[in-house]
Amino acid sequence: MQQNPFLAILTRLLTFVLVMVVLSIMIFVLARVVPGDPARMALGPTATPEQVSALRTEMGLDDSLPVQYASYMARALQGDLGMSLLSQRPVTMDLGQTVPATVELVLVAVIIMFAVAIPLGVMTSHFRDRWVDHVGRLFSLVGVTIPSFLFAISLQLVAARYFGDWPIIGRMDHGLGFTGGPTGLMLVDSLLAGRMDVFASALQHLALPAVALSMAGIGQITRITRSAMLENRRKDHVLTLQSFGVPERVIIFRYLLKLSSIAPLTIMGLEFASLIGNAFVIEMVFSWGGFASYGLNAILQKDLNAVTAVVLVSGLFFIVANLIVDVLIAIIDPRMRRKEAR
Amino acid sequence: MSDALLKVEGLDVLFTSYGQTRQVLRDISFTVGAGERVALIGETGSGKSVTAKAILGTLPRNATVSAGRIEVEGRNVLELRRGERDALKGSAFSLIMQDPLSSFNPVFKIGTHLDDVLRFADSREGVKSSRADRRARIAAVLRRVQLADPDRVMNAYPSELSGGMRQRVLIGLALLHQPKLLIADEPGTALDVTTQDEILNLINTLVAEEGMALLMITHNLGVVRKVADRVVVMRHGDIVEAGPCEKILASPEHDYTIGLLDAVPPLYGPRVQTQQISAQAPIVSATGLGKEFGRHGKRFTAVKDVSITLREGEIFGLAGESGSGKTTVARMMMGLSRPTFGSVSVDGTPNPGRPLAQIVYQNPGTSLNPKRTVKQSLGLPLKYAGLTGAARDARMAELMELVRLPVSYLAKYPHELSGGQKQRVAIARALAADPKVLILDEPTAALDVSVQKTVIELLLQLREELGLTYFMISHDLSLMRNFCSRLAIMLRGEIVEEGATPEIFADPKHPYTRALIAAIPVVTDDEERHKPAVSPEERAAFLVKTTD
Repeated sequence: MQQNPFLAILTRLLTFVLVMVVLSIMIFVLARVVPGDPARMALGPTATPEQVSALRTEMGLDDSLPVQYASYMARALQGDLGMSLLSQRPVTMDLGQTVPATVELVLVAVIIMFAVAIPLGVMTSHFRDRWVDHVGRLFSLVGVTIPSFLFAISLQLVAARYFGDWPIIGRMDHGLGFTGGPTGLMLVDSLLAGRMDVFASALQHLALPAVALSMAGIGQITRITRSAMLENRRKDHVLTLQSFGVPERVIIFRYLLKLSSIAPLTIMGLEFASLIGNAFVIEMVFSWGGFASYGLNAILQKDLNAVTAVVLVSGLFFIVANLIVDVLIAIIDPRMRRKEAR
Repeated sequence: MSDALLKVEGLDVLFTSYGQTRQVLRDISFTVGAGERVALIGETGSGKSVTAKAILGTLPRNATVSAGRIEVEGRNVLELRRGERDALKGSAFSLIMQDPLSSFNPVFKIGTHLDDVLRFADSREGVKSSRADRRARIAAVLRRVQLADPDRVMNAYPSELSGGMRQRVLIGLALLHQPKLLIADEPGTALDVTTQDEILNLINTLVAEEGMALLMITHNLGVVRKVADRVVVMRHGDIVEAGPCEKILASPEHDYTIGLLDAVPPLYGPRVQTQQISAQAPIVSATGLGKEFGRHGKRFTAVKDVSITLREGEIFGLAGESGSGKTTVARMMMGLSRPTFGSVSVDGTPNPGRPLAQIVYQNPGTSLNPKRTVKQSLGLPLKYAGLTGAARDARMAELMELVRLPVSYLAKYPHELSGGQKQRVAIARALAADPKVLILDEPTAALDVSVQKTVIELLLQLREELGLTYFMISHDLSLMRNFCSRLAIMLRGEIVEEGATPEIFADPKHPYTRALIAAIPVVTDDEERHKPAVSPEERAAFLVKTTD
């Protein structure tokens, strides 16, 4: 069968667009059918009915839903997501400030997740039913079952009580006088500017929220890695290598680990949704100022344009994350590559 | 024999699971001399594979060697430290694995497996080797196992090679370090009979050329005759008989060996049974049947212009190797799948309100739901046949009696039954709705030969009692010789030969039929002489390429 990676990618991108369109319709309708008048909320209780109805007309809320959607999408495709009622600025500008903060938090959380969970999964599977395994499994169970805000608050308490200087809110120390850079990611921008002091401060600020956010994923991925390792260990190809005297460490860290990383990667793609959901909570606890806390305020204030944009960006995150997962799996597994191309 | 290469003496092995200890090997003793070919033969649970694992040191964690010695070149390997024991692997003895697909890690290239094996074998011997040097040596070995394009093989992932090619690579793997003893665990069993034949020939050639000793583990007596000088017969962890190959096969002494040989369906000779041809009316007939899979542009023709007439009361056999389309034909005949071309006409009248045909699948271990008791498995078809309460229970008891199982077995789960008993339940389930035709999809392929014999006898008796018609799909021509009244041979979706079974075997017309019959491992020299001749050109034209 002839391989055609180009066609496979094209199909992927088409589904990608389709998902975004459906998502945008759903959130657009949803945001407008829930009770509460956005114009009234924007103007406050003292505004006259005439003022409110004037604003409604200005916002286009008197038109039918399809007309509203069409004009919204027409503007959105040109990069205009409308004005935020809350901040009185273009939504795109708000997103530009808040999205990098969330991206940085989520990325670091994912790195922590894999850095902890994969070795832990390998270890627990290797020492199956021994104390290492029991401790590891208890740890992952705790990670999965305890809600992330509880981790967040506990970490804050511990840091404040025992490490008095450790920052527990915000993204960085404002006394350093660093205003940010081109990427919006503090870790990257500080390195670009050559400011190691800023980098250290940003890393310090990131540590607690990123750990709190990664806990649920660590639990999940540890368990998946452990069971994948145990399952693959029983396979004949392990026996083949053993019978020819290939050392145990090579079998585990080279042959089994690669094969057993497919399952946790797949789970990671799915876990991404709950990761973003948890980010909403974590950002509130740590006053992170990311797009999740921006979105939360927008929902509470019925800031229509902001809500729609936040949901679309969340969807985009999820789709891109899964696209990356699919590419990674295709790199690992040759059978998947051929299936994709078919 | 003091110069024995491998000497196993008084070996006892215990398995412990869920707190219970079971002895799986009892006082096993045998030797393999330099250059000698020895076969360990036995059915499921005989302990032949455990013996091999004990020699290799790959027993599972819950197994313990409680007594005995295993000497390789005079050294007791059971007393060696792990490192020393690993050092023997690949150089003193090597293993040829059974299943060529699952023996490779699917996400690594074939070459990576070979290179790692060679690299660590080298470093154990204190040899420093470069990657290029190893690659050259691997290529040389792959050429030895008749893989002409080693570079392509090394760069391929396991799923990109055919079964026969993978089996050749596995043999190559075992040859990398010129071992003195080759241990082969059912090589080629998972492959087609013609491919298996080539693999056995290859092993024989290599053993002879390199002067290696061979320990062959198998359940197939025909394979034994082909590749062994001496035979050790095992049963339930004991050695029941051992001796020279010709003697064991020609005049066995132990009852078990006699029974085992008797259960092997003969290909030629006086023991062959011939089933009567039916002269009754057709019950199902197919004309110009064709099936294509896939969507436009990438269509694949699985079946092409097949016409079959199934007569009432006959046993029709459709023979072919994997991928020949025989199962697709059976599914279309049953109405489970729609033919792309042609039509199936049902000429017989089914019992009122009941389907005409039912199917018995190949592996009863997977075709029975493990979470349902026999009663529940039988209950479902009976429910759709409209039976409830006492009538249903009576019918169940009747079905159990038909397949010669005690009624008390209704309460059992599949895992409590043996393979043969499971297949009996599967037959009872197929009979539940009074079909007139039974489709038998390799009904005994997953069973031991002695169990196969009893299941086949049961099927023949049931046909007498119930007046059934059988449509059997199989690749096992020696079984079909004795069980089927008429035979059709399929090759790449087409029927290449059809006729009464005795005539096809007496005078096979198509070269593929001849190649197929010639490849069957047989037990006696007499049968071997009766086999048709096949020229190399004919083999090349009709057999699957396994050499690259």
